[in-house]
Amino acid sequence: MTTRKSSTDRFVRAIIEARRPLARLALPRSTVNPEEEGGCGVTGFASSVKVKGRHIFEPSRQMHNRGNGKGGGIAALGLDHNDLGVSAEIVTEDYLLQIAFLDMNCRRAVEDKYVNPYFRIDHIDSLTPVDDYHDVEGLEIRPPDVVRYFIRVKKPVLQDFIMKKGLRFTDDRKAEDEFVYQNTFRLNSEFYAGGEQRAFVLSHGRNLIVLKAVGYAEQVVQYYQLDNLKAHAWIAHQRFPTKGRVWHPGGAHPFVGLNEALVHNGDFANYQSIVDYLRQRNIFPLFMTDTEVSAYLFDLLTRVYSYPLEYVIEALAPTSEMDLDQLSEDKQRIYSLVQNSHMHGSPDGPWFFIIARNNVEDQTLQLIGITDTSMLRPQVFALMDGEVKVGLICSEKHAIDATLRSLADEDPRFGRVADTYWNARGGSHTDGGAFIFNIKPGKNGEAELTCTDKFGQAINIPEYQKPCPFPRPHGVTRSEVISRMEQMLAAGDAVGLYKMVVADLSEPGYERFLGTVEWLKRAAIRDDQTKSTVLKILTLLLDRRYDPHDKRRRSLLEVLNQAIDDILLACPLVGSESSSRYARIDFTNRERLGPPQGEQEILVIDAFDFKPEGCDCDARLQVEAYRLGWRRFICFRYRGQRFTATGLGLGTDEVRFDIYGGSGDYLASGIDGLHIYVHGNAQDQLCQIMKNGKLVIYGDVGQTFMYGAKGGEAYIMGNTAGRPLINGVGRPRVVINGTSLDYLAESFMAGDPLKGGGFAILNGVTFDWQGRLKELPTPYPGSNLFSLASGGAIYIRDPHDKIVEEQLNGGILDFITLEDWELIRPYLKENERLFGISLEKDLLTVDNHLLDPGRIYRKVKAVKSTILAGSEESLVPE
Amino acid sequence: MKPAIKPVPSRYKNPLSKFKVTRANACVNCLTCVQVCPHGVHWDSGGKIQMPRDNLCHGFACMNKDCYCVDQCPSRALRVTLNPVYDVLGDRRWTADLLLSTWHMAETASVPGNNLEYKTGDSGGGFDRIELILPDKKVKASEKEKVSTSLLLNRRDDGRIKLEIGLPFYGGGMSFGSVNLGTMLCRARAYSAWESLVCTGEGGFPEELIPYQDHVITQVATGLFGVREDTVQRVPMIEFKYAQGAKPGLGGHLLGDKVTPAVARMREAVAGNSLFSPFPFHSVYSIEDHQKHIDWIKQINPRALVSVKVSTPNDVDMVAVGSYYAGAHVIHLDGSYGGTGAAPDIAKKNIAMPIEYAIPKVHRFLTQEGVRDKITLIASGGLRTAHDVAKAIALGADGVVIGTADMVALECLRCHNCESGRGCPRGIATTDPELKLMLDEDWGTQRLINLFSCWRDQLVGFLVKWGMKSITELVGRTDCLRHLDYEPSSEEQ
Repeated sequence: MTTRKSSTDRFVRAIIEARRPLARLALPRSTVNPEEEGGCGVTGFASSVKVKGRHIFEPSRQMHNRGNGKGGGIAALGLDHNDLGVSAEIVTEDYLLQIAFLDMNCRRAVEDKYVNPYFRIDHIDSLTPVDDYHDVEGLEIRPPDVVRYFIRVKKPVLQDFIMKKGLRFTDDRKAEDEFVYQNTFRLNSEFYAGGEQRAFVLSHGRNLIVLKAVGYAEQVVQYYQLDNLKAHAWIAHQRFPTKGRVWHPGGAHPFVGLNEALVHNGDFANYQSIVDYLRQRNIFPLFMTDTEVSAYLFDLLTRVYSYPLEYVIEALAPTSEMDLDQLSEDKQRIYSLVQNSHMHGSPDGPWFFIIARNNVEDQTLQLIGITDTSMLRPQVFALMDGEVKVGLICSEKHAIDATLRSLADEDPRFGRVADTYWNARGGSHTDGGAFIFNIKPGKNGEAELTCTDKFGQAINIPEYQKPCPFPRPHGVTRSEVISRMEQMLAAGDAVGLYKMVVADLSEPGYERFLGTVEWLKRAAIRDDQTKSTVLKILTLLLDRRYDPHDKRRRSLLEVLNQAIDDILLACPLVGSESSSRYARIDFTNRERLGPPQGEQEILVIDAFDFKPEGCDCDARLQVEAYRLGWRRFICFRYRGQRFTATGLGLGTDEVRFDIYGGSGDYLASGIDGLHIYVHGNAQDQLCQIMKNGKLVIYGDVGQTFMYGAKGGEAYIMGNTAGRPLINGVGRPRVVINGTSLDYLAESFMAGDPLKGGGFAILNGVTFDWQGRLKELPTPYPGSNLFSLASGGAIYIRDPHDKIVEEQLNGGILDFITLEDWELIRPYLKENERLFGISLEKDLLTVDNHLLDPGRIYRKVKAVKSTILAGSEESLVPE
Repeated sequence: MKPAIKPVPSRYKNPLSKFKVTRANACVNCLTCVQVCPHGVHWDSGGKIQMPRDNLCHGFACMNKDCYCVDQCPSRALRVTLNPVYDVLGDRRWTADLLLSTWHMAETASVPGNNLEYKTGDSGGGFDRIELILPDKKVKASEKEKVSTSLLLNRRDDGRIKLEIGLPFYGGGMSFGSVNLGTMLCRARAYSAWESLVCTGEGGFPEELIPYQDHVITQVATGLFGVREDTVQRVPMIEFKYAQGAKPGLGGHLLGDKVTPAVARMREAVAGNSLFSPFPFHSVYSIEDHQKHIDWIKQINPRALVSVKVSTPNDVDMVAVGSYYAGAHVIHLDGSYGGTGAAPDIAKKNIAMPIEYAIPKVHRFLTQEGVRDKITLIASGGLRTAHDVAKAIALGADGVVIGTADMVALECLRCHNCESGRGCPRGIATTDPELKLMLDEDWGTQRLINLFSCWRDQLVGFLVKWGMKSITELVGRTDCLRHLDYEPSSEEQ
């Protein structure tokens, strides 16, 4: 059979062949050992308008605890030519070669050998750092001097390269790209990897710069004075290396291929295999980190193999098992080919990439987040749509909120709350585990930002719902409304007032809503009784889903958050003379904590300045306060502080926590009896080893929820991310209204639910933009449902029989009995009370028909496996 | 204060022995043998000769000496042979001699005099190819008094308790379920008596251990079985078990037969179903997750120390440094030689770096990093004797963790039936309500106290010979060791 060689095929072969001489410069195989680095904090955002470097500052700072200050870096994509002192054309057409000089004495040598002979230099710029690196707080090692060259390959040099390398058939620009790439490799090899570390290339792509240092990412911004440099997209990385006393900026992220910069959280189990895969294609790593090879992989797949992004993602994070079966036959065929060709180059183990890419062919700037197939690293995506649009990717949600806060402080067109937050499902048929924010030139010279998943499906936000304009319109409250509100307040009718506010949202514009909230906020300071009612109303508005009509939910939330913060901030400080039930404490006044005095009963903790962990975290203060007799806590203005409500010990039934803001990891872990209400989304690793008590989350919850839980109740309004309820024992009982990404209740061992054991109810529903409940396409999209479980059960709302045996691993699907229904009904009633999800009207009604529960709910239960079970004789009664 | 030493004989009427002494009918009850035997093998009761105590016999070592009963017997009624059981007892790592001598130490708190090889095994590698270089020197009792065997576990100046243990070793994790409560209590009481620690393993913290809680380490392992805030708050140290040297890449496992109703209750799982802990912590896939995990436990218990137990992969040095940066007080390396019968052979024999490589690798790396004096390095995995302890410390560990030796002191036979059902024929590693009655707690406690006393005595003896005042002086003193693959042994010299 003869195959006609496509031009791509020729190109791939020619490029790989062209790199063969580089092998001489490669490091010996035996020295190629990866640097040890496990986790990190990664963040990135892309905006339809160019924004300043200082906005990468907040999220980076908030993720300090994900790095150790031994390496940080940033990349900026889509620059403003005015900042750089060159024409717009030069920024987009030239290569921005940035060389880091660790030893300025070698600048001449570097330029004479690797810059001047080959490149037409359109502009040179030495970056001006701060005068003394000690001025940047916490920076211990002087970052390298950086020189930026705006270059094009000289015509004769390029022609010579094309001839010698047999690249005549291809586009000259591609050859030029390759020349730049190879030149950098040679430079790095001689001046960095080959012996003494004197200089290395930070980046060389178009419209893209990278800077890094031994320090934290935001120190890079400070040191190089990038606070005011504008770009469409920024990514940053906090590194946590564990090897070597002498850290080196060369090892910090981001790493570049050519026109992309990549940051990475995680580490590969098969680093060596990927190095081999790359070496077979004449790509030779020089910096010994798995992030470097990731960038090369991405460059190989995009620029050399010229794959569309979808296949690149498939090569990195293969779709497997049942997810593959769900795809169309065509896709299955192509994906199988991709997988077969690139399996050895597919990173195995925990990883999460954020990539800033200048897709020069499509003139698109892209911010890409890709998670590994098993979703072993934390990741949150968000989209804020409005007059300006911004897409964000982070390790933790609170870092996203910090970015938005920072952006909104400077430009009020940005909201402080995103329209939507979500997790990607790695290697899945649903979203492919990857999302891409694309920035394209649009009408009137303004850029357009869109967000799509791996398959190109867009995330859209309804256009008729308008964000609150800026400046905010004045609130309006009519006198008859006020008298009605007064009456209801006097009667303490929070629910009535909540319903009134929701009904009034049908009135166009924000004036009425703003007026009402403002009026309520003022009323709250009158007395404790009113304050309590107002907080209830505002919290209901924050928690529940309803139709915002022409308004955008995120704008409402922003107003509500602010109102709640203001009311709580107005509470008297602990230790001050007051007759209020509320006593506020913050980090500055933490020493004033004492037992409740007089009427005091609610400790209001302003978490803002507390440390995320350790002696100065608010969780430690909570334990102390509990010891002193406090039982009611309201914690607000969270910025990812961890371990909330942990460490209180046994028997805390009379304790209640209400949480506002971006709460952190491990919340409610180990609790025994206390009730905790999270008014918003929650983070990772909640409720580990939870023993007893109640957790309510008015939103989504992150990875490994209720790992090793022994009991307690949890109600989740939205989704649980990967690996919820793993290794649950005893009697944990959970209602999840959304879905789980994967591995739900693996190795669950919680006895027989009908005899006091544990279970989860999975409703598989969500809310649309009008606040109406709707069914998800499937209640559970993944496989590994209830894998290897020996006890407990999962009750799934599945009226259309979407769940199939193939999704199980060891369990069986069964009908529910009357006994089952009697067991779960009270939990669904409580779910109704908490979230307003009606049992009859919502959950038991399908296509307007009220159905029998037995036709709606199915049970996944454990079967006694012969492999797992012991012999009968072992069960000798005591 | 040192706990009292009391002789504790075997709980069996005919303890296993190396030699078998048989007395023929020709015996005339002249009691000559009683007089000649210096080891108390032959004895009489009211002038009537009794069954010989085989386990005290020195066997052929007496041959050609005046004390050789066989030759001295006027009736030629005595015969000394190698006990056929001796040939089938033990294995290369735990040889019959090591088992017999450990039993001896547990009984008498002294090293066996009857030519049993009590120092090393016969594995042909590991600690069996390393020898202590001990100066030929008489050790005076007064010198021994001045030597310290205490070990400080918290070397961070972080306001947490300055926990110090009286011995340079403590008890490794064995869960309720893998062993029975009686075994746990014997260990807790014995380690408490020596001001040391013992780990609960991953099976919960039985309330019966509460009286000893200041000497208990509770384990947070990947299944999180029995981990509760109150148990974490009770103890002076919490151990994170990431992996076991005997079976890296596998989580803990307890097969269905051992998951009795009592075990299932403690772990809140389903009786009769095997319990597998996942290999990784589902919440920890990176160093920053690890730090967060440690921070969590520190939040629950603000005074306790944190130990991180890992196996020995190639990059164990990085793991150790990472754990230090993540806030651990103790890094516990578990090498591949350990493991009871429950660990699968395929794992036990093929994975993980030998501990004698891992210790110096980590010790050196921590030193280069400049953090060696900030973290306590503990080694475990097949440490069977006082000699092994000294070797591990001389290689660079601060102290060690003991597992199987404790079981042997309780008369474990190394029959490798630990994981199966009613399992342990000696009632140690069983939760069977009948079999567990075979173990008496007072008896077991004293056996362990005796063994530790004997080990401590030996360690003190070594230190005196080396002119050291404290076990801490031995750390990293590889000049006190000789590797027999590269240097001839003292006997060969």
